[in-house]
Amino acid sequence: MHISTNPWVWIAAILTLAIYSFLYKDNPFYKFAEHLFMGLSIGYGAVVLWYNSIIPRLWNPLAHGTSPSRFYLLIPIAIGLLSFGIFSKKYSWLIKYPLAFSVGAYAGFSIPVTFEASIFEQISGTILTKQMMATPWLAISNLIMFVGVITTITYFYFSKHHKGLLGKSARTGIVFLMLAFGASFGYTVMARISLLIGRMQFLLHDWLGIIK
Amino acid sequence: MLKKQIPLAITFITGVIIVITFFIPHPPFGRLQQDALTWYSVIFGFTMLLGVDSLVRFHYRKLRRREKGWWFSIIFYGGFLLSFITGVVSEVRFGDAFNINSSFMYFYNTILIPLQSTMFALLAFFIASASYRAFRARNIDATFLLVTAVIVMLGRVPVGYMLWHKLPNLTSWILNVLQLGPMRGIMIGIALGTVAMSLRLILGIERTYLS
Amino acid sequence: MILFILFSTITVKAFDTPNDGGGSITIKAYNVPETVKKALVYRKTEGDTTYTLAGVMSILSYRYVDADSTIKNGKPYYYRVDFYFPDTVISVVSDSPGIAYAQWYDKSKTSSLIFLIVFSTLVLVFIQLAKKDPEGLYIRKIPALDAIDEAVGRSTELGKPTFFVHGLLGITDAGTLAALTILRRVAKKVAEYDTPILVTNFDPIVMTASQETVKQAYTEAGRPDAYNEKNIIYLTYEQFGYTAGVDGLMVREKPGAIFLQGYFFAESLILAETGHSVGAIQIAGTTAKEQLPFFVAACDYVLIGEEMLAASSYIGREPVMLGSVKGADWGKAFLMGIIGIGVVLGTVGAILQSAGNGALMNVFEKILAFF
Repeated sequence: MHISTNPWVWIAAILTLAIYSFLYKDNPFYKFAEHLFMGLSIGYGAVVLWYNSIIPRLWNPLAHGTSPSRFYLLIPIAIGLLSFGIFSKKYSWLIKYPLAFSVGAYAGFSIPVTFEASIFEQISGTILTKQMMATPWLAISNLIMFVGVITTITYFYFSKHHKGLLGKSARTGIVFLMLAFGASFGYTVMARISLLIGRMQFLLHDWLGIIK
Repeated sequence: MLKKQIPLAITFITGVIIVITFFIPHPPFGRLQQDALTWYSVIFGFTMLLGVDSLVRFHYRKLRRREKGWWFSIIFYGGFLLSFITGVVSEVRFGDAFNINSSFMYFYNTILIPLQSTMFALLAFFIASASYRAFRARNIDATFLLVTAVIVMLGRVPVGYMLWHKLPNLTSWILNVLQLGPMRGIMIGIALGTVAMSLRLILGIERTYLS
Repeated sequence: MILFILFSTITVKAFDTPNDGGGSITIKAYNVPETVKKALVYRKTEGDTTYTLAGVMSILSYRYVDADSTIKNGKPYYYRVDFYFPDTVISVVSDSPGIAYAQWYDKSKTSSLIFLIVFSTLVLVFIQLAKKDPEGLYIRKIPALDAIDEAVGRSTELGKPTFFVHGLLGITDAGTLAALTILRRVAKKVAEYDTPILVTNFDPIVMTASQETVKQAYTEAGRPDAYNEKNIIYLTYEQFGYTAGVDGLMVREKPGAIFLQGYFFAESLILAETGHSVGAIQIAGTTAKEQLPFFVAACDYVLIGEEMLAASSYIGREPVMLGSVKGADWGKAFLMGIIGIGVVLGTVGAILQSAGNGALMNVFEKILAFF
């Protein structure tokens, strides 16, 4: 057994145990780790934002750039400054401007991108090709998948009563959904256990030196 | 007008312009999407300050009123100042806060990373407790979930192969066929729902975010 | 370097890169023997006496896109490509100069444009129809949304606060915007029942939008004085830091009802299980399909994917909203039709092709290429 003499390994080990103590119940050790975590991460986030976003996207083009279009950046700065309106009761509504721009930009992006990235890809993946029917087993499997896709979509059909054929299809859709959720769940269990093994290795190997 | 109509007009105009420019590569339209992203990140930077302000004030209140557990707020401030100051110092010393030898990255690797991975690893316990409850199948739907979960779980470990040598094959069939179909259905639904919502946003029908 | 200008079948073409904003020329080589080791592209323009190196051509696709910052639209550029073989180098000059132009329409996006038009028309038509005839509009039951009142009510009876936990994506996510609609409903109930609420945020823009939303909900409930901005807090912009913070708040405040709404990642189960351990009634909603199984296993009610996006229509029941949902449903029918036709054509086409008739298969291949 070779207990680590590195103080940083000790700190990491103590924090690891402090987080795990949460599984028993809330306690001062967890609270300590939680508050330290939040403080560190928000400081880290501020530094990342400053150096990865503000400096390259705002400061560098404005201070060192030569392109005349760089002055357009003053517009988002102005919009961004409006969000400080929330510090005043009278002008708190100014925040609606940055919100309106962000949401408009998002909505504009998402419409064409959703078609390209989600819908087309899913449709072309579902339509059976020759390769997908190469053997009877493959053909049956892909047919089952096709039924899975269609019945699931009917479950998300909102504007009609789920009765008759639509009702039966939506009901089948729920069964398919549950089977799929189960598969995802089962698939993830082992991956999560391996995370724990990783932490245990740190504690027992890096820190306490019990295992090699 | 200033509080409602103009924000709605901003959403409408921004949305429509960005949809149209998706199809026009010609300058200046072709780069508008990229510009909008830059604008968004600049605006995000300003609101991030609001977020930091909110959290810092939350803890300040706790400290000032000596609320229960107030001294943990000191830990919060300590952590915040530690990473923020080392970030600035590292930038000055190395010209880059993310330099591998900087104290900023040292704190990141030795304190923040273990905290993150331990928090993440809590999932091993939670997935066990969630499984326990899911496995007491409450109704027929939960039973379906249970069946595939157990098969896939066993099919991915050696014990599964020992129980029945075809279990790994069945597992991959479940993952590639039974799982993929409904997941595609969910994605198509979400995609159409997203487009419908985006249209409602641009048209000003959906306006909760402006209240 | 010894240059052998040999007679070879290799040809090089330089042409404007299609569907772009200009400033780029594509150089493509044809009939290149497979033994080629590397290919270097050289460029010159009118007035230049020598070629200068532009870049390395891929010897897999035999293509090089020259988007050098010096390239001007409308100006001719001449290209030479040197193909390096084990024992020789062959230089081939493009048969005509390449000229870059900016296009006004990106042809590669035609399929998106068609879908955009079809789908937007469907939604807009049904919105108009709904305005004219608001009767007869229907939306199916969504139990998780019906349970909101029950959850807040129970929390009030127990004298416990209600928690609303936002997901990890910003205002640019459809799920986040849907979460705000749900928050409005929750906040209105909370204001009516006069019970405390705590809203945790990962994203600062979402925090400000949440503040506006909750304030409005309190005003609608006739209790604007009871609104407290301090109950809508920002935690941190770090995944597990946020998880640690929310978990800590859950075990300390012991909420009676928890809403986990928005886009979550791996932390979904940590939050949902902690919420369950404090005995809260939990209503989750997410468009993150990977996290749905965990919410389904650990929460009392779950809004699955699109159910969440329909929340505003379900809660508001405004005719225009319901109209848009109906339009989206017709979009689904349209897509299911396409998938169905694709499956039939593909299956019948494959059978006919094996019997010697490939015509239907060709139609099918064309449809597939459209996507």
